[in-house]
Amino acid sequence: MNMAEPSSLALSVPIKMALRDLNFYYGKFQALKSINLDIPERCVTAFIGPSGCGKSTLLRTFNRMFELYPEQRAEGSILLDGENLLTSKQDVALIRARIGMVFQKPTPFPMSIFDNIAFGVKLFENLSRIELEERVEWALRKAALWDEVKDKLAWNGASLSGGQQQRLCIARGIAIKPELLLLDEPCSALDPISTARIEELIAELKKDYTLIIVTHNMQQAARVSDYTAYMYLGELIEFGKTEQIFLKPARRETEDYITGRFG
Amino acid sequence: MSEKHLSSQFDSDLNGVSSQLMKMGGLVEAQIQRAIHSLANFSVSEIDDVLETETLVDRMEMEIDRAITTVVARRQPAARDLRLLLAISKITSNLERAGDEAHKIGKRVKSLVESGQTRQMPIGDLRVASDLAANLIHRALDAFARLDVASAISIYREDDLIDREFKGFTRKLITYMMEDPHIISSSLDLLFIAKAIERIGDHAKNICEFIIYIVHGMDVRHSKLKGIEAIIQPEQAPFS
Amino acid sequence: MSADANSVAASKAARFARRKRFNQAAIALSMIAMLFGMFWLAWILWETIHIGISSLSVSMLTENTPPAGDEPGTGGLANAMMGSFLMVALATFVGAPIGILSGIYLAEYDPQGKLAATVRFINDLLLSAPSIIIGLFVYALIVMRFREFSGWAGAAALTLIVIPIVIRTTENMLALIPSGLREAAYALGTPKWKVITRITLVAARSGVLTGILLAVARISGETAPLLFTALNNQFWKASLSGPLANLPVTILQFAMSPYENWQQLAWGGVFLITLAVLGLNILARMLSREKLK
Repeated sequence: MNMAEPSSLALSVPIKMALRDLNFYYGKFQALKSINLDIPERCVTAFIGPSGCGKSTLLRTFNRMFELYPEQRAEGSILLDGENLLTSKQDVALIRARIGMVFQKPTPFPMSIFDNIAFGVKLFENLSRIELEERVEWALRKAALWDEVKDKLAWNGASLSGGQQQRLCIARGIAIKPELLLLDEPCSALDPISTARIEELIAELKKDYTLIIVTHNMQQAARVSDYTAYMYLGELIEFGKTEQIFLKPARRETEDYITGRFG
Repeated sequence: MSEKHLSSQFDSDLNGVSSQLMKMGGLVEAQIQRAIHSLANFSVSEIDDVLETETLVDRMEMEIDRAITTVVARRQPAARDLRLLLAISKITSNLERAGDEAHKIGKRVKSLVESGQTRQMPIGDLRVASDLAANLIHRALDAFARLDVASAISIYREDDLIDREFKGFTRKLITYMMEDPHIISSSLDLLFIAKAIERIGDHAKNICEFIIYIVHGMDVRHSKLKGIEAIIQPEQAPFS
Repeated sequence: MSADANSVAASKAARFARRKRFNQAAIALSMIAMLFGMFWLAWILWETIHIGISSLSVSMLTENTPPAGDEPGTGGLANAMMGSFLMVALATFVGAPIGILSGIYLAEYDPQGKLAATVRFINDLLLSAPSIIIGLFVYALIVMRFREFSGWAGAAALTLIVIPIVIRTTENMLALIPSGLREAAYALGTPKWKVITRITLVAARSGVLTGILLAVARISGETAPLLFTALNNQFWKASLSGPLANLPVTILQFAMSPYENWQQLAWGGVFLITLAVLGLNILARMLSREKLK
């Protein structure tokens, strides 16, 4: 068996995003240590690992979300289709518009369901009313929410149930037609039925998008992802096809974690 | 790195399934030993025992499968735990079939003894092969208990020996039958016994394949011995 | 074994009984303390309503403050109410935007910075400063300079009271907005000003409004700063220049006087202010409850 570096797993699929020697610091504390990783296009890649292993931190470097906080910084490169996002001359807002993100807790904006989705679209596109309505419907349909909200588009987003709110946030994320969709523990606040809906949605979305999901729930990673990365203490321990990681991981640390021997 | 799960209940569930498998293995082993013994001595006294053990083994197989189903449903095992449970499930059916073969040997010995032609039959060769087969099953279970890949591979190799014995014995029987057509029906009994012994050896070999699967996560069924060794030798330890 | 279990059960029961007695005693004590406080409050309210209602009349709302010693039941507080309304309105319209903008700066632009820490400290000082000091300050700054008491000076003093309250509530309300909401907005590529105006401020709007209402309630009852600034006046006036009548100072003056008609009007004024402040507080409460939903 090939026991090569976790990152250089020879992938025969197109690469959407490549991390090269990525380091991340919270002040003096180094939270990510020289991460090298290739994210395959139109696939679901899951990051798993114990709390504090840096998986959410890693996700938040992809859209430079960490720049909201002055003491955080990243070094190295995050290549999106070959362009280094960290040194890009592009405005950070434009970069973020290429990358959708869904958070742990549903975050509906304080506005109507329609405006929740139209808000992001209007930031970068000049659409007529009709086109905008079409886009909102398209996004809601994609997020499997349209049938539930089509008669109450003017209602406040907060009036929906938790699972619906999270799907609204996913719809909002895909309405701007991003190239990459980041999901930061999207189901941790949801009941099993809503979780199953979102997982179904993830499987649907990967036909068009590259998805990255951070999850505490290993079974969820096993269910929804094509590739899985195991992280521990800021390091990428192993990266590989999900079935390989969950059936025969190459590294002992990975196996101990996914079999519940981690202690 | 710890061997134990965070959940000690999970550990004891897995250990429970493993030890049940070992118990079932012990039963099948005894069954084979008795069948061989009755073959060697042409005695029918132990054959009823062989038949009785059969139902016990069948029940254990179902019990183990139920226990495995429970663990899978409740714990969603992954990686080596998952491989272990899958392998145990396969090993039980191999053990059960090995028990079936012992059963068949018993029935054929009975019919041989009833035919009264035992004296003229060439059972010496069969004894060697049957001892070898019983030994393989014993060592396969042993290798399973220690998850010992090296001895699993050596068992794999020795099964070829039984296969060769079987071929030689078949040729011999044909000669016998041509010489004396009277003993054809007894010879056929012996042929079935030889086939059963050969099958027991195969089951031992299958168990070894699952040991390799548990440890290395590789499915080596239907591969050549050399290919398996080539893959496993370079790194004995499953983890680098 | 069972003897052990019995003794454990017995000691548990004894302890439980003791704890129960303590609990009852504590509840009784706190009830007494509460009743003591409530008693005075209820008395004040009762007196205010009781005497206030009896001194209410149509003329109180339509007529100006009468000269001392007139027939009781004639004259009113119309000019004082108008003056109060003018000053409170101006102070709110000037103070609230300043307070909101400062609150936004503190919460969104520089939450950890040194400047913000300084501003916060000074704001806290201003928030807890006795209002008479603010009155004196405006007196020295405006009244002395223009050598005239005026509504403008009164409004300025009230503005100085509104600003710190609004800053504090706005900042707190914005800080309460979960960072996830902010991040979700940024994640779409939203520029900062739009995140604030369209998302966080909207999400915090009922809290911010509550803060403004509370500030209004606070300044409508303030007497001390107006004593040095707007002073008083007995004529109807809809302009802020020159001394301006207002409810709190009028009440003070009338209540301290020996004249029955003035005292009666003072009670009426007290009743009106209490009613207004109560109304504002209830409104603020309703708004903040709506936010929690």
